[in-house]
Amino acid sequence: MPSSAVVPAAGSTASTRPEDLISRLSAAGGDGLMALKAVRQVKNQIIGNKTKKLCYLNLGAVPKIVSILASAVDAEFSACSEQLVVQAAASVGSFACGLDDGVQAVLDAGAVPLLTRILSSNDEKIVDAGARSLRMIFQSKLAPKYDILQENNIQFILSLLNSDNENVTELAASIITHSCVTISEQKSLADTSVLQRLIYLLDGSLNQRDASLNSISTIIKNNPDAVKKFMNIDGGKAFSVIIELMKDRHPRTKYLASLCLIFIGNASQCYVQELAIKTKLILIVFELLEEAGSIGDDAPFALINLIESKEELQKHALSINAVEKLGNFLMKGSYEVKRIQGILLALAELCSTLEKARCQLLSLEAFNRVVDSLNHGSAIIHIAACTCLRNISRSVKNISAGHFNRESIVLPLIKLLHDPSISVQIAALRVICNIVVCFSTRKSVFIECGGVKELFRLSQSMDSTLREYAIQVLKNLMFNADCHSLKVVLPEILDSSLSVLICDSEAYVQEQAMGLVCNIINGRDEAIDRILSTGISDTIFRQLCRSSSNEVCIQGMFIFCNIACGKPLHKDATLNYILQTRVDGNELIPISVKFLQSKNDLLRLATIWCMLNLVADSTVPEGTARASKLFDAGVAVALGQMVDDPNTDVKYRARSLQNQFKLLGFS
Amino acid sequence: MVFNQKKESWNSCRSRLLQFVSHRKMGVRRSSEVSDSAPSSSVSGKEDNSGCSLLPPECSLLSVGQAFGGTQNVSSMQKEEAWRVNVRIQGVDRDHGYLCGTMEALNVPSADTPVVTFWEGEIIDTKNYTFYTGKWEASHEDDTRHWSKFASFSEFSTQVESSDGGRSLDMSSCPYIFMRWKEQYFVNVGKDCGLTIAGFYYVCFSCQDGSINGYYFDPNSSPFQMLELKPTHEGRSGVGFSSYQLQ
Repeated sequence: MPSSAVVPAAGSTASTRPEDLISRLSAAGGDGLMALKAVRQVKNQIIGNKTKKLCYLNLGAVPKIVSILASAVDAEFSACSEQLVVQAAASVGSFACGLDDGVQAVLDAGAVPLLTRILSSNDEKIVDAGARSLRMIFQSKLAPKYDILQENNIQFILSLLNSDNENVTELAASIITHSCVTISEQKSLADTSVLQRLIYLLDGSLNQRDASLNSISTIIKNNPDAVKKFMNIDGGKAFSVIIELMKDRHPRTKYLASLCLIFIGNASQCYVQELAIKTKLILIVFELLEEAGSIGDDAPFALINLIESKEELQKHALSINAVEKLGNFLMKGSYEVKRIQGILLALAELCSTLEKARCQLLSLEAFNRVVDSLNHGSAIIHIAACTCLRNISRSVKNISAGHFNRESIVLPLIKLLHDPSISVQIAALRVICNIVVCFSTRKSVFIECGGVKELFRLSQSMDSTLREYAIQVLKNLMFNADCHSLKVVLPEILDSSLSVLICDSEAYVQEQAMGLVCNIINGRDEAIDRILSTGISDTIFRQLCRSSSNEVCIQGMFIFCNIACGKPLHKDATLNYILQTRVDGNELIPISVKFLQSKNDLLRLATIWCMLNLVADSTVPEGTARASKLFDAGVAVALGQMVDDPNTDVKYRARSLQNQFKLLGFS
Repeated sequence: MVFNQKKESWNSCRSRLLQFVSHRKMGVRRSSEVSDSAPSSSVSGKEDNSGCSLLPPECSLLSVGQAFGGTQNVSSMQKEEAWRVNVRIQGVDRDHGYLCGTMEALNVPSADTPVVTFWEGEIIDTKNYTFYTGKWEASHEDDTRHWSKFASFSEFSTQVESSDGGRSLDMSSCPYIFMRWKEQYFVNVGKDCGLTIAGFYYVCFSCQDGSINGYYFDPNSSPFQMLELKPTHEGRSGVGFSSYQLQ
């Protein structure tokens, strides 16, 4: 039997227990005063109190309050409708403030249309309450995207921006920041007077300024056309305003102004030419890294945006000790995951091309912290640390010096190959790609630690990117490899999946697999024997004949070039392959002649090198016999057109081959 | 590398044994993030008004994975001597005019084992590097004096002096590649091995046959010690290729 709620009479001392307040919200009916008191009490309890918010959420307060708001908006209450609207709207906003569950409940209850409706009220307090609440909602990622592409909606945003009410203009800015994502959305806003209005609001209160800066940065981000429009407004007046705001004492203003400048500079170098501004930007980012909260967390990403793919700016950053400063931040330790990720990625960017940056980081204690990050508990940090290590190790000099051939680096990387996330596995593989390249006689720690079997496992993955990188690691491992490394890799790769990988569904996997074969057999007669006897050479040749990928054909021809460096038997086998004819248009021509006529420089080059190796030894009769077969197959005719090849490398090799033919009596 | 004259009295003597393994990328990058140590088939960067590259040509004989062998003349007033040298190319980055490798000196009198150094090279591409060194204690006069030792330099000599080391030179049709090689560290011995790597080499590479000529420069050593290298096949009966890709 349902029990009826005990509802204290209006005006009496009422209970403020959540359960009681919920009952009163339900029982208010048309009693505006009762509803007002209950809503106000709920609002007062939840403001700034997450626990209370969750408690009321669980008790279903939000739909009840939104229902009261709807009734109040329709003036269904007998009294105090206006106050009730204000209090209910404020309550809704409070539930949405800083709590995703609260935002979701508010959205589910259908509050947004109601709140939007009250923005057109004549009562300033109601408008204010509605705008504040909507702003809370639009600050959340859960809020629905406002369709900026609709003309009416843009007019609505403009009307909000033109309001004298500070909260309303901030709401408009929040809507823009939240909803403007695509280039067409940026364009639709930049084509109107939105940017002008936002620039005007930069003269407003601190909140208005920050909200406007945020919206401006959203509209101009990675959009040169929008930047151009922005820079042309009032003869570029806004640019100098933003330069000044970059030096503001408020960290958030500073950050947002810096972000705008970075986007302006990224659009065209002509806008931000002065080195002093760039220096200031870099220094501000380092200053902001000291800030607690989201500003400090976002700061390294601003730096990344500033220096990404800009070698000159990276050099400049290096000259003002950027690596050392970022390293120091990393050493300070206990930051949020996002900030650590940002610092690692910023270091990665600095080390992407500059050898000096790599050497600097390697010499710092912070390098060990980068390595330690491989053992962090977060996949995001794993990927960032791998990216950083990958860029540091993108250096023949450092690999050659053996800086990465250490268990402390290799073991956690091998462990990451077992991570449930494919992205983490790929990130780890890409670092391993670099550090396994063998430039010295040092033992490979990667092989010693059992990494090769993980590569074989991943080379059979369902994910083609994993397969590609796993094979690329093996290829790099086999570059210049010593006998020990070869003994570990060769039997397993030949006996397992190599033929399958050469015929992989993806051309880039085929290319890597062929590159692996090329490295394995280079200068190793025993390996060539295995390739020929196991039928792998047949598989390679079939791919050569049917592949439409130049890269695959180039790799294939370099394999035959390397086979042709072997014993006479190997040369003969090569000759048999490359003289096999294939239909080309209406003609039946040897594959080698077809490749000599290719438009691809490298394919012509690989083919000529292969032939040069076949006829290199003019002192033995076999050399002459092979030259004779090539000559008869029409190679000389094709060669005649190549002695003046536009590619100088091809031209010199063609001339060498022609000279060799002449030496052997063919001309 | 040469004998460290602070430790050794035999100051005119120097040895070089270079061993290069060169390596060439034989494919095309799939990802823009991939950095390959070997030259790609097309050269980006410096172009003339017609869009043609002015950079020196690429050469498969100067690619990662190739090896060279020969001698460095270390003759002094006291005696005639030439040391055996092997060179191996380990990395090439055409866009940055960079290459690197190892150099192995086989019969260094003061060393029990062959001495290996890691060197880095600057390709005179007139984009990243000109004929003027501008460092390592080499004056313009030193540069001109050394480059002029190569007959193939003669066609550029006038322009080099008139255009700040050859900044505007068209190197695209030149069958030679000029470089500077500077040793950076000892790979298999300590710094106290009695040798010094203070100087650097002026190098001229022939794209046609892969031969290399060089002159060592160190203000504190005897001038014009000559390096002569030719491609070696390391037991192969032809020219082999291998590759790696850095990410």
